[in-house]
Amino acid sequence: MTTQGNVQPKAFPLALFKFNVRDAGTLIGLLIIVITFSFLSPVFFTLPNLLNILQQSSINGIIALGMTLVIISGGIDLSVGPTAALSAVLGATLMVAGVPVPLAIMATLGVGALCGVFSGMLVAYAGLQPFIVTLGGLSLFRALALIFTNGNPIFGIPMEFRTVINSTVFGVPAPIVIVIAIAAILWVVMNKTPLGEYILAVGGNEEAARVAGVPVKRTKVTVFVISGVLASLASLILIGRLGAAEPTMGNLWELDAIAAAAIGGASLMGGKGSVIGTLIGAVILGSLRNGLTLLNIQAFYQLLATGLIIIIAMLIDRATRGK
Amino acid sequence: MEQYCLTMRGISKSYSGVAAVQGVDFSVRPGEVHALIGENGAGKSTLLNILSGVRAADSGEILVEGQVIQMKNPLSARHAGIAMIHQELQHVPELSVAQNMFLGRPLTKMKGLFVDRKAQYKRAVAILRRLDPSINPDEPIKNLKVSQQQIVEIARALLDEAKIIAMDEPTSSLTPTEFERLAELISDLKSMNVSLIYVSHKMNEIFKVCDRATILRDGKQVGVVNICDETEETIVTKMVGRKIEKVQHHSYATERIVLSVEDLSRDKAVRNATFSVKAGEVLGIAGLVGSGRTELLKLIAGIDAKTGGNIEVEGVAVKKHNVSSAIRAGIGLVPEDRKKEGIIKERAVKMNMALPSMARFTRFGLLKKSQLNQTALDVMTDLRLRPLNIEKTIGTLSGGNQQKVIIGRWVAADNKVFLFDEPTRGIDIGAKSEIYNLIEKLAQQGKAIVVVSSEMPEIIRISDRVLVMREGQITKELNGDDITEENIARYAINDVKKAV
Repeated sequence: MTTQGNVQPKAFPLALFKFNVRDAGTLIGLLIIVITFSFLSPVFFTLPNLLNILQQSSINGIIALGMTLVIISGGIDLSVGPTAALSAVLGATLMVAGVPVPLAIMATLGVGALCGVFSGMLVAYAGLQPFIVTLGGLSLFRALALIFTNGNPIFGIPMEFRTVINSTVFGVPAPIVIVIAIAAILWVVMNKTPLGEYILAVGGNEEAARVAGVPVKRTKVTVFVISGVLASLASLILIGRLGAAEPTMGNLWELDAIAAAAIGGASLMGGKGSVIGTLIGAVILGSLRNGLTLLNIQAFYQLLATGLIIIIAMLIDRATRGK
Repeated sequence: MEQYCLTMRGISKSYSGVAAVQGVDFSVRPGEVHALIGENGAGKSTLLNILSGVRAADSGEILVEGQVIQMKNPLSARHAGIAMIHQELQHVPELSVAQNMFLGRPLTKMKGLFVDRKAQYKRAVAILRRLDPSINPDEPIKNLKVSQQQIVEIARALLDEAKIIAMDEPTSSLTPTEFERLAELISDLKSMNVSLIYVSHKMNEIFKVCDRATILRDGKQVGVVNICDETEETIVTKMVGRKIEKVQHHSYATERIVLSVEDLSRDKAVRNATFSVKAGEVLGIAGLVGSGRTELLKLIAGIDAKTGGNIEVEGVAVKKHNVSSAIRAGIGLVPEDRKKEGIIKERAVKMNMALPSMARFTRFGLLKKSQLNQTALDVMTDLRLRPLNIEKTIGTLSGGNQQKVIIGRWVAADNKVFLFDEPTRGIDIGAKSEIYNLIEKLAQQGKAIVVVSSEMPEIIRISDRVLVMREGQITKELNGDDITEENIARYAINDVKKAV
């Protein structure tokens, strides 16, 4: 017995990856931006600069990937920035106090996970709106970070840790390798595991998912934990590069993350999103900033460009989806 | 020619190359109740959408009182005196009755600066007095019963001085008593020279209130008849294009008890429900809307929390009260509202089907797609999903096919107990009998089946035994020849004056 005709509409298998039309579209958007800037600036399309773009996009990329899962499940996580800050200052404190680096890393990720559990439980078990819960978390975690450090940055991140973050793998900077690894893992989760199906189901129709036996509460907590852990992972990269952890770091990180996810095809109504799309979305944002900087355009205009790109992406989305 | 207050001539519309309606003529006389009949997919919704200005026809024209109307948008329809009352009532729950009645065109004072609530209240009272004087215009509309909300929509139409009111499946949420009330209302509207277009699947209603009927099939108009000249069979034959045979009921009930419910309660909604279902048995549950039938099923399925009682499957108690425990015990619900609680519309058929059984298809944390696909194919072939495409997005399937996928979900999960809530709601006649056959097949396989239904013919046809519920309690068990419409109604309604 064979399956009839069309495999999932608008998909064509491409070796290991299944590219769908939306992702292809996002990729085309990226190419247009890259080509445009290559013409406008001779420096843009050089290996060092391209690696620079990828590296600059890596932190947002990691957070955006976690955000994508939360958005697909029908939620949102506004507390990623402060989660990163809180994790970072606690982790940095441990590192500076002489705790072995691997343990400190685990602790940092653990803090991120706890923040995720906090938000997740309130959303899943107390039935509170994710927007409000994570808005509250945003203030809460930021306050905890500031209180813990008295508002002061923590200097003296150990060299061993910094070297790892600043190292390269076959010439590719570590942060980029990390993003790609995370993306690969999450792609597998979304496409090949029950959890991925559950996330899509909960975001698509929570009530129907419940009736069909999907562990809705567990799924919701899980995506927030993933988001929290990835936020703390991103913070590790940042403190590794800077050598210091500031309680004020991560400001407005959630906006760039949501932007990357949305450009990548995630719908804020839930049930739709793409890991690959988010990655491309993060690179689009990074390329835009990089290109405008090379052209010596003021930071204010960069903000303008970012805002415009998001709106244009949404308009194109609406026009092509034809809903 | 003013013999007709509404004439739709040669209406055609296609969606992406597929013709939804082709050259349809549809005319309504003043003060008549005209039924629009057809299976799902026959073109009724499209025709109504064109009439109410929601969609533009590709070709054809619409005349009201002999004048051609340029139907550009819903406003044009309103100005032409056409009002549409949708199956899913279109109101804003938090606003009051009066506010809903004047939605979009509030009465104002001070040259449009302020809303004139007093004037709105007065006008609302005036119109509601003719329809249902017990409705308070200041009451938030969400507090009203569905039947009253519907009356408010009719009131809204009358406010616009509509001469043609189209009602789409008006009784899907009404009790038989409320339908009687609606029938009276329709009479009143007729005497006001208002014409009604009545779209429904329920033959008994059509025969009760309608004067003429237009029958659509596959997008074309296949007949315009006088109701008094027809019988149910002749109309159904025209609708479907073939004869539907009446099937005799066959019982597959064994003696082995599979599901046992004792003293199951949930506050006032369900009170001390006690009954059992045997393998191969189809237990029907009848009762009025609001009698607690859906709530009972949701309790058994673990969706709602119980406040008392026990559930046992094959002698083993279902301890924890949630959906996972129920599913593990072999219980699954095919819900009443497919769109809201049944399907995840953007996902593929196979995924919707596989959801409760994910653990089965997982090895080392990863999904075995091949096994999942094969199971999906096997189950859906068995259930006669046509066209057999498990990759298709479930939202694009017809109601009947969607229902098959949800049933397939529990077949794949190897359920022992199947709970059906209004199994053929929104499903056309052709697919209805397929669902009945499926239920019978499941019974033949020794499954325990519970069916909640508001359609008497349906319950009588498929049930071995019937429990009648009233106000949360099971009031009577009917067996064999005792299963009749009279008996069911008797025990379902509060004040019974009829003798046996």
